[in-house]
Amino acid sequence: MEQILDVYAQTNALRDVDTRLKLLLGVCAIIIGVASQSPAAPFFIAVSMAFITVALAKIPVRLYASLITIPVSFAIFSAIIILLMSGGGEPIFTFFIAGYPIGATTASANLALLVVMRTFGGMCSLYFIALTTPITEIFSVMHTLRFPRGLIDLSMLIYHFIFVLIGETISIHTAQVLRHGYDTFRNSVQSFAMLGAMVFIRAWQQGEDLVIAMDARCYDGKLELADESRKPGRVVIGATIVYLGACAYLAWLTATMNIF
Amino acid sequence: MEGFLPPFWCVFWFAVSLPFVAYGCYRLDRLVREERETLPLLAVAGAFVFVLSSLKLPSVVTGSSSHPTGTGLSAILFGPFLTSVIGLIVLLFQALLLAHGGLSTLGANVFSMGIAGPFVAYGIYRCGKTIRLNTFVTIFVAAAMADLVTYLVTSLQLALAFPAQSGGIVGAFVGFALIFAVTQVPLAIVEGVIIALTFKYIIQSRPDILVRLDVLSQEQVTKIREAFK
Repeated sequence: MEQILDVYAQTNALRDVDTRLKLLLGVCAIIIGVASQSPAAPFFIAVSMAFITVALAKIPVRLYASLITIPVSFAIFSAIIILLMSGGGEPIFTFFIAGYPIGATTASANLALLVVMRTFGGMCSLYFIALTTPITEIFSVMHTLRFPRGLIDLSMLIYHFIFVLIGETISIHTAQVLRHGYDTFRNSVQSFAMLGAMVFIRAWQQGEDLVIAMDARCYDGKLELADESRKPGRVVIGATIVYLGACAYLAWLTATMNIF
Repeated sequence: MEGFLPPFWCVFWFAVSLPFVAYGCYRLDRLVREERETLPLLAVAGAFVFVLSSLKLPSVVTGSSSHPTGTGLSAILFGPFLTSVIGLIVLLFQALLLAHGGLSTLGANVFSMGIAGPFVAYGIYRCGKTIRLNTFVTIFVAAAMADLVTYLVTSLQLALAFPAQSGGIVGAFVGFALIFAVTQVPLAIVEGVIIALTFKYIIQSRPDILVRLDVLSQEQVTKIREAFK
């Protein structure tokens, strides 16, 4: 089972900061990072976002490091493919595989570096949102932004059922492992299918029970949301705007910069 | 992954996915108004896709962590438009709860996993049902193809964003597709087998669910259950 980040979102030190401000900071940082033409701005965003998440929101460094390794290693792997496939500029090195020339050029090296840095910056900004903002608060913001009713209600119910199902899945999975259910490949396919089907059936029953429970409480097809947002202080708003401005300025300033 | 696609392609895939999701939302709102009891059941399917895709599938290629998409199942049960809405929500939760995927690449991911794959799975399932192909064979092909199409579309998205020097977009597409094929082809087959077996267990214990959703007719269920006795 994967690590569920919701626990940290509910308990971190920035939990009570206004949700809209946190979403604005995270989403704008992602947009600036993606739109940037040079690796400098995304790198700055990555380092500062990591700092904010670890130092201000007090997320354990060890957890943060283990989270960031997976996407960054994937990004590096994919960037190597881009490095070898795209072209332009001066060749740096070339070698032959089965008679085909494969190599890196200055333009492809710049592109690969840019992609790695954008992913790094983007992931750090995404982790900032995921680790500091509880999903329940995001529903309230979606509601204020007038997202379709059905979409919000469905999201809230899916969110509720995820935790119900994870509990069921863990118990069934443990029972299967104890009975050598995943010993051979054949067994594991059987067990996994059985696990999937049983979780589905149990979940379906839970869904039917919920319908009855909701009907008993006069459910009319709409779920109500309690909106309790506090206004953030001027200093915090100011700091956010200055930070985003600095990131955007850095991206604009270094737009034509190339490493190779 | 967050930040992997260039800005133009992020916006492009959001624009492509939007009409599908918007129509899905419209269908969802209408469905909720007409049959209130379907909303919790759709939610169950969404949560199921989320949990299934966060589990590691038994993998043939050791060392690769592979995740089933699970959207094939949802497409067969609820149709492709509602699945695109479920796909959007599941991908958003994966980004926020598990830090998989990303927000800027959400449009591209919704298109490959929530729209292209489910549409193909639904099409195959309906065709198979019309020409009266064996139900489990149809489900296997539909689920496996949903997975394969998802990864082919992802390769195409990457190739459009990063064309190769020799061969351009086609060259890059072949390159990305070949690299993914190593893990994705065995994965698609395993996922197809698992979804087909999942259906077998559902037919054995709760066939009424499938009849109600118009996935199978009552006579098909009776026939299949007879065959297992």
